[in-house]
Amino acid sequence: MMQPELIELLGSATPKILAEKIPVIENRESEWLGLQQKESGNENAASPFSFRPQRLRLAAEDEFFEDGDIHRHMYLQDVVTAIADDEHAPTISEFRCHIAGCRQLFDTLEGYEHHYNSLHRNVCSNCKRSFPSNRLLEVHILEWHDSLFQVMAEKQCMYECLVEGCGLKFKTSKERKDHLIRTHSYPADFRFDKAKKSGRMRERKTQQKKDANMEVSETATVHQESESMDFSLTPDPESVKTVETEPVQTANLKPKYSYKVPSSICFGQGSVRGFRGRRKK
Amino acid sequence: MWRLKTLRHKASGSAINLEEFKHKRREFEKTLRQARRDRQLVSKRLLQDEEEEEEDSMETGSIPLSPEQVREMIRGVLSGGEEKATRLASLRKALRNPESQLAFIKCENSMHMLIGQLSSHNAQCQLEAARCLHALSQSTHPSVGQACLPAGPYLLTYLSGQSTKLTELSLYTLGNLCPDSAVVREKLLAQGIVPALANCIHNQRYNLAVVEAVGFTLSQLLQAKDATEKITPAVMASGIVPHVISGLTPDPEFGYGPAIECTWCLHYLVSSNLDNSMLIAQGALSQCSAVLITLGGAVAQGNLEGGLELLIWPLLRCLGNLLVSGGDVMPEDTRLLAALCVFSQAYLHPHPALCRESLWALNNLTAGSSGFCSGLLLLNMAPILIQFLSFSKGMNLMALRVLGNIAHHGTEYSVGLTQAGLLTALCATLKMAEPEVVTLSLDVLYMLVSSSPQVVEEFTRLNGVPLLEAIQYNSEGEQRVRATYILHHHFPSFSEGESLSSYQDQ
Repeated sequence: MMQPELIELLGSATPKILAEKIPVIENRESEWLGLQQKESGNENAASPFSFRPQRLRLAAEDEFFEDGDIHRHMYLQDVVTAIADDEHAPTISEFRCHIAGCRQLFDTLEGYEHHYNSLHRNVCSNCKRSFPSNRLLEVHILEWHDSLFQVMAEKQCMYECLVEGCGLKFKTSKERKDHLIRTHSYPADFRFDKAKKSGRMRERKTQQKKDANMEVSETATVHQESESMDFSLTPDPESVKTVETEPVQTANLKPKYSYKVPSSICFGQGSVRGFRGRRKK
Repeated sequence: MWRLKTLRHKASGSAINLEEFKHKRREFEKTLRQARRDRQLVSKRLLQDEEEEEEDSMETGSIPLSPEQVREMIRGVLSGGEEKATRLASLRKALRNPESQLAFIKCENSMHMLIGQLSSHNAQCQLEAARCLHALSQSTHPSVGQACLPAGPYLLTYLSGQSTKLTELSLYTLGNLCPDSAVVREKLLAQGIVPALANCIHNQRYNLAVVEAVGFTLSQLLQAKDATEKITPAVMASGIVPHVISGLTPDPEFGYGPAIECTWCLHYLVSSNLDNSMLIAQGALSQCSAVLITLGGAVAQGNLEGGLELLIWPLLRCLGNLLVSGGDVMPEDTRLLAALCVFSQAYLHPHPALCRESLWALNNLTAGSSGFCSGLLLLNMAPILIQFLSFSKGMNLMALRVLGNIAHHGTEYSVGLTQAGLLTALCATLKMAEPEVVTLSLDVLYMLVSSSPQVVEEFTRLNGVPLLEAIQYNSEGEQRVRATYILHHHFPSFSEGESLSSYQDQ
């Protein structure tokens, strides 16, 4: 369905449309954008986006040119025909679940959506966050929406390793994160327990015990050092320096410190099918 | 002459079995693809008169000549008298068979005899001898090409001869010999093939059949692996280039053959030069643009005449590479944008690779120029680009690049793209199989949402935020980091909180 404007545009009656005559809109930095940048402050530092407009030069033998070359040579050898060729139809892109451990492929967007909604949309009814597996949702609810957890966490190691089958527990979420990175090769760029920037009430305990404070704190504490956002892929330098408190092992575990993630962990594959609603503890 | 022919069937001239035909063609294509991967893609052209074609179609497959029979035929020609030409014609028919070709060159004095006839005073004998050589040049056996080399100087002489028929024949024979080996090319270069071609095309520039033949031969030379060092400099210095460039404009009455050959020559030249300012100074870029615009008009009218793509293809490549290697020279006429969009749409189904190459040319046009970016938006071509996001094998990647080039220019452009529906399309591309597509989509998305609160709102409305949240759990670090960045900077109320990510991708 060729647009009539295009046809007209290319008609022999249409004169040249000079590129220099086309109105170009200056790239004014919008006020809004400027504001945004001020707010985020120094976190604006390393933009991870690598796209830049680039002219691409292609060599004659580049793979990109294969089909055209073949067509040319078939013509030279008198093999080009008017007979329709359905083998060269454009390929429609497939869809894939990119959630780590999943990697399932789908022919259609609907197929993907169905998969995602059935397996990975484990939604916390409190904060509406979704998690790719039911286990993570449960851990989340326990650690974030359960006040008893916070109380117990002051006395004992409560932050459990996320890798199923490991079973080690840690005093703080930071220690758990370090364990995940060091022992289970979790990437250093994942964010963990990021502090809230404003408003909402959250309990958080720092590593240094201030007092044996049994009271659940209602005030927001913002920790810049250990829980700062890490966009780079280098490991958090702090994790190297801190001394870990002895993790508590649960009964059924031989501490298997493998450097490969056990195959039992994955988001999606093999996990509980179907959507499990929020759990009441 | 250029015309479409169907694949010849050895079986019979009667009705072709369609399935078998398609199967044969598929197999043939496979061998060509493998040959290209091995950098051995070589083709030879067979020039035939109509009468020869008739004989051919009645042929059921000839029996190879024995050495004795070859000697017999040679003797026959030499002693032929009035019959020489006829005997040469019989020889020529026999030489269609590859094994006979081998037997012939192995026979003592065989080439000597042919060369003798080639340089005789009898015009008919000259012609028939030339046809024999042409038959020999079809051989893919390395020794046959080499054996024909002594005839080179004579063939080259005929390039400036009186008989255009002989000229054409000689040209195609030389063109067939070129790809055989480096040795053959070296010898032909030493014998002066490049100046001879230059003179020929200059003197015969109004004879399109000869122009086509020169173009073919030159393209065979330029396609060689060693062309960049050994052949291109000589060609650039020979004065043949202006003729090649003016040959780009097709003559619809005659047929597209000459333009096709000239354009492929130009493509090989452009891609072997690092700096094409000389070619641009000679008008290569403006000529390519002009022809593309003319063809764009034809295609826009629905004229998808078979074979037009044979010309469009190399034109696109010349355009694309000239834009990168000629300094910052840009085409003047933005109707080129319309032409490229027309090609990409029209050829999406019959030749998707051509569609993809049009997008590549669009990328190179828009990467450097705000005029062309504005042009794309103003001429309402963004929706066309967006539709290509559904297709894989490099198509969606290239379309994303073009859209990214436009978005990169700032707020108004991003808003324009959003109005054209890009956000909705991105919500789909973010879920596609190829990781590169997802990552590039995030880059483009970032530019869009950074441009204005309007876009942020629209993305939220489209329920795009949970999509980004989900990406924080992807196995690819590149994707996680980008999604997190966008959430943090533009959707702050969603970006807090635990994000439990998985293990590192290996």
